[in-house]
Amino acid sequence: MMRNYNSRQTAKPGKKPVPLFADRNAYLPLRAIIKDIVEENELVKTFAVVFEDEIYNTNFTYLPGQFLMLSMPHCGEAPISFSSSPSRPGSFSLTIRKAGKLTSAVHELQPGDMIGVRGPYGKPFPFEEMRRHDLLFVAGGIGMAPLRSVIEFCLDYRADYGDIKVLYGCKTPADFCFRQDLEKWAGEGLITTRFTVDAACEEWNGCVGLVTDLLDDVTISAGSVKALVCGPGVMIRFVAERLLRSGLPAGDIITTLERHMKCGIGVCGHCHYDSRMICTDGPVFTVSQLPDLESL
Amino acid sequence: MTFGSGAMTNSIAEIEHAQVVLVSGSNTTETHPQIARRIYDAVDNGAKLIVIDPRRTQIARHAHLHLQIRPGTDIPLLNAMMRSILDENLVDDLFIEMRTENYFAMRDKLYQVDISQAATICGVDADSIRLAARMYARAQRSVICYCLGVTQHVCGTDNVRSYANLAMLTGHVEQEFTGVDPLRGQNNVQGACDMGALPAVLPGYMPVADETARTKFQRAWGGKLPEKPGMTVLEMTHPADGKVKAMYIMGENPAVSDPDLSRVRHSLDHLEFLAVADIFLTDTARLADVVFPAVTFAEKTGTITSSERRVQLLHKAIEPVASAWPDDRIIMELSRRLGYPMDYESPAEIMEEICMLTPIYGGMYHDRLDAEWGVQWPCAGREHGSTQFLHKFSFARGRGWFEPAEHQAPVESADADFPYILVTGRVYHHFHTGTMTRRSQLHNREYSQSLIEIHPEDAEKLSVAEGEHVRLTSRRGDCAFIVTITDRVSPGHVFANFHFTEAPVNFLTVKQSDPVAKCPEYKVCAVRIEKVAA
Amino acid sequence: MNRNFILKKDHLQPLLRKLSKTHRLVAPVRNDFGDTLFTEITRLDSAVIDLQNQPQSSLKSFFFPQQETLCSYIVDKKLNKGKMEYSFHARLPENAPTVFFGVRSCDMFAVMYTDMIFLHQHERDIYYEQRRDSSIFISIGCNRPFANCFCNATRSGPFLDGGFDLQLTDLGDRWFVETGRPRGVRLTEEWPGFFTPVSEDDKRKQFQAELEARGLFRKLVHVDLAVKLLAESEPPERIIEELSRRCQDCGGCAYICPTCTCFNISDLALNEDSGERIRSWDACTFSGFTLMAGNHNPVNAASERIRKRFLHKLRHDVEKHGRPSCVGCGRCVEMCFGGVDIVRFIDMLTAAGENGLQGEK
Repeated sequence: MMRNYNSRQTAKPGKKPVPLFADRNAYLPLRAIIKDIVEENELVKTFAVVFEDEIYNTNFTYLPGQFLMLSMPHCGEAPISFSSSPSRPGSFSLTIRKAGKLTSAVHELQPGDMIGVRGPYGKPFPFEEMRRHDLLFVAGGIGMAPLRSVIEFCLDYRADYGDIKVLYGCKTPADFCFRQDLEKWAGEGLITTRFTVDAACEEWNGCVGLVTDLLDDVTISAGSVKALVCGPGVMIRFVAERLLRSGLPAGDIITTLERHMKCGIGVCGHCHYDSRMICTDGPVFTVSQLPDLESL
Repeated sequence: MTFGSGAMTNSIAEIEHAQVVLVSGSNTTETHPQIARRIYDAVDNGAKLIVIDPRRTQIARHAHLHLQIRPGTDIPLLNAMMRSILDENLVDDLFIEMRTENYFAMRDKLYQVDISQAATICGVDADSIRLAARMYARAQRSVICYCLGVTQHVCGTDNVRSYANLAMLTGHVEQEFTGVDPLRGQNNVQGACDMGALPAVLPGYMPVADETARTKFQRAWGGKLPEKPGMTVLEMTHPADGKVKAMYIMGENPAVSDPDLSRVRHSLDHLEFLAVADIFLTDTARLADVVFPAVTFAEKTGTITSSERRVQLLHKAIEPVASAWPDDRIIMELSRRLGYPMDYESPAEIMEEICMLTPIYGGMYHDRLDAEWGVQWPCAGREHGSTQFLHKFSFARGRGWFEPAEHQAPVESADADFPYILVTGRVYHHFHTGTMTRRSQLHNREYSQSLIEIHPEDAEKLSVAEGEHVRLTSRRGDCAFIVTITDRVSPGHVFANFHFTEAPVNFLTVKQSDPVAKCPEYKVCAVRIEKVAA
Repeated sequence: MNRNFILKKDHLQPLLRKLSKTHRLVAPVRNDFGDTLFTEITRLDSAVIDLQNQPQSSLKSFFFPQQETLCSYIVDKKLNKGKMEYSFHARLPENAPTVFFGVRSCDMFAVMYTDMIFLHQHERDIYYEQRRDSSIFISIGCNRPFANCFCNATRSGPFLDGGFDLQLTDLGDRWFVETGRPRGVRLTEEWPGFFTPVSEDDKRKQFQAELEARGLFRKLVHVDLAVKLLAESEPPERIIEELSRRCQDCGGCAYICPTCTCFNISDLALNEDSGERIRSWDACTFSGFTLMAGNHNPVNAASERIRKRFLHKLRHDVEKHGRPSCVGCGRCVEMCFGGVDIVRFIDMLTAAGENGLQGEK
């Protein structure tokens, strides 16, 4: 599993990747090409992307938790987090849910089509602090995308981490993303997984209920575990509150937030969050850094 | 009419010195922010604010008293307020004696009014009516500001008369800081009316039936002017078939803005010839045989007349883009080809003619407008100053005329088939039919969907949630909207705007209009609401 | 050490003429309609340079225009076997050496703030930099503050210690000239004929003018107290509620503010195959400012937006940059329809503070 550990393309924890953009102009995107498209479900697709210019493919590094600004013709830009791991270079993946004008246009793309990208931006997950800890991933819906990047990354440095547990909840069975990946890794004994859906239905014989319910079966020993939580705001709130009640310190609960963004470099103001900018001070935060969970 | 001329009697800046501001049928904060600012200032200075509106608008949230009446019940409310003023002896006897006529008919009428009965009709409690009457009458300087919520009813004219009656009864007119102020719907509606863009009058409100007036214009223009009033917009867009053969429409979008749109579009489709001048290809322009690209405000010089009768000169800021022409040039070229050559060399020359022919604009020469910050009419000549408030010493018609009014129910009321009352209006971020603002990214981001305001109780009854789609059906047509749940409207009432061409609310509205002003009843129609898939 | 000079008032116009040969010249000019605006002067002899009135807007738009094209883009579906090609072409503004004359201290200070935002954060903003590079600022200290000014309270005037190239003080028939940044020093060296030595009396007069100016502010605004109160606790809900009820959502406060730098980026399609990426001013008081795809809005309530606006100026920027980002120019006081300006906020806050913030919530 420890591929390309020494290759120079590989991002290493602790070293902050340098953002790339064209012509020394922080707002000018680079041209990139869709290499491959995987349909995760009706509303979600994963796009494998490479730069048009080979030189960037070799220079480009990022870390899980970071995002880039994706350009689509006539639609402007939107922040999209990486769903692939930088430990597997060659291309990177963006997992995109159809929600607005830009993302709907992205869903129309075919392999070979071109997009604009600049980045990576934002603070990644704190890998230095996560080392030698058990990892508890809690995902809701499309929130699995950035966490998948972390999981894959941790698997490539598997020895650095303790137990890896993934709890994943969706509205319906059709809403899961990366289920095959997760089940494969579970089958190989690298991680353990639990899935749940909000409401019972015919094609589902797994767990029914909110993802917080899955936490009932998990023993949390404060100090040795880091929880990584990602999903809709309310879900983050309930999971975080549940984990806090189980005695996990707020500093060990890590989440990533989503906001409207225009620049990605801490200037435009759209992603303000108290005195911070989600794009440069986040998007990854520990719960101890969040002023209150209700406004998520 | 009651006072003798149709315009704001005060200046906008006077409002902030009022002691009581009565706002009726006006969503002032959203539609006249610069006037709302004066109202805020007045309230900051200690003035009391009374708002009469079926909706809990932002200005209503500032009100000391909000009378949330049922749409179309202004007259019973005002009659009840006046009755209460009589009862509490707050009448300004001296003013009535010196300045008005027909008071006794008015008084007799008011003695028949039962305040508690009126309260039931209006849907507000009797004590609030009495309180409003007391607040308004007892202050020395009370101002009434009203807007389309008062006029867009079948009884619009009587509504306006009733506000005038209230002002006269208490002597709250003809002075600085007190008066009756209609807030005009668009930036130059006042100027268009002043220039005779009305069927029955020549420029300066001189009746076409008046031979002396006609003769004056005939001598200036040559040719013969019609003796009878022309048609109103509604008579043109809802004509007896074949009556209107050709139309030339400038800067209007009746294919979206006029009531009962199926009829309007049918009429426009069946014209032999339609020409439209506009800055964008509007829905109306799409129906035209010939479209003249006109310039925007920034590309032309001319005057606009604001609500407070202020004639202001605007200078061209940029040269016309592409092949667009200013309106005067389009009209002159058309006129020349129709065999009546006009060759005004500049808007200033046109204004000189206006000054010559229109007494209220007698001194509005361009050079003078440039030197001052506009001039308020009436202004009879170069030596005349600006007129800050109207009817000083006497009304335009001599004495103010009390015209008692009777409640007239709206054309439609809620019933089993159409159980909700639809009120139409505007929102802050869009202008009229959206031909300009819908093209602005920022305006569209701020207000992107055609929303319908529904009260939480009704939303529950209809089992619709925020953001869901509904279809409204009236006796004339149907139209789809996206739900927003809010207590701005009262239960049983819904509110929609007419800015969205994809949700043309005027397919639903009634075409019946006020018999005098011909203003259609945009404010009330009965609808039913069904939830539909997105 | 920076040196001081005297520039005779009669010699100002000749100096500007010399400078305008190699530089674009921008100064507060009164136009035909009585408005005083910073304007590029093309004909020095006919321009009415107005130093008696506060310019209606700051210098912000010279470096950060209300709307600018960042790049154009082209989409081509035919070129590459039906695959979509997508290319970007930057539209950089030209770098035009400019002399900004008659800049007031507050506006000068605001330029220093926007420099920090656009040039000294995570990435350099090349558009701002191009416009900002090679500009020379000749500022004027304010002997007589204007009606709404309170720069004494924000410590961004009426006279500055630095940031300018030259700072002038009106001494009646002459200007007292202080040199600031190296470009200002060079300017005095290039045109030594205009800049004569100062006497002890001039220095005294300059000091006196500075001293007197401080006593002439008509508004007493307790900025420091407001900053302190906000550092200690949340502003009372009542104040936020009252102000948000009055806010008419026009964005005027942010547009007129010399230190408001929030912007939007959006694509303007010119036709199916091409368009421009536009940057335009935005305002945190607009509800669409934080609107996400799918109509989710994390900062929805008007009260949240008003709170954000004032906290940004008086708390967040203090935390981040060590001082509030209001420069006391007072323009929002004049601009706002609803009286939702920073002075009113500070007044309400400090008045509440006197009664104890805690008791109020």
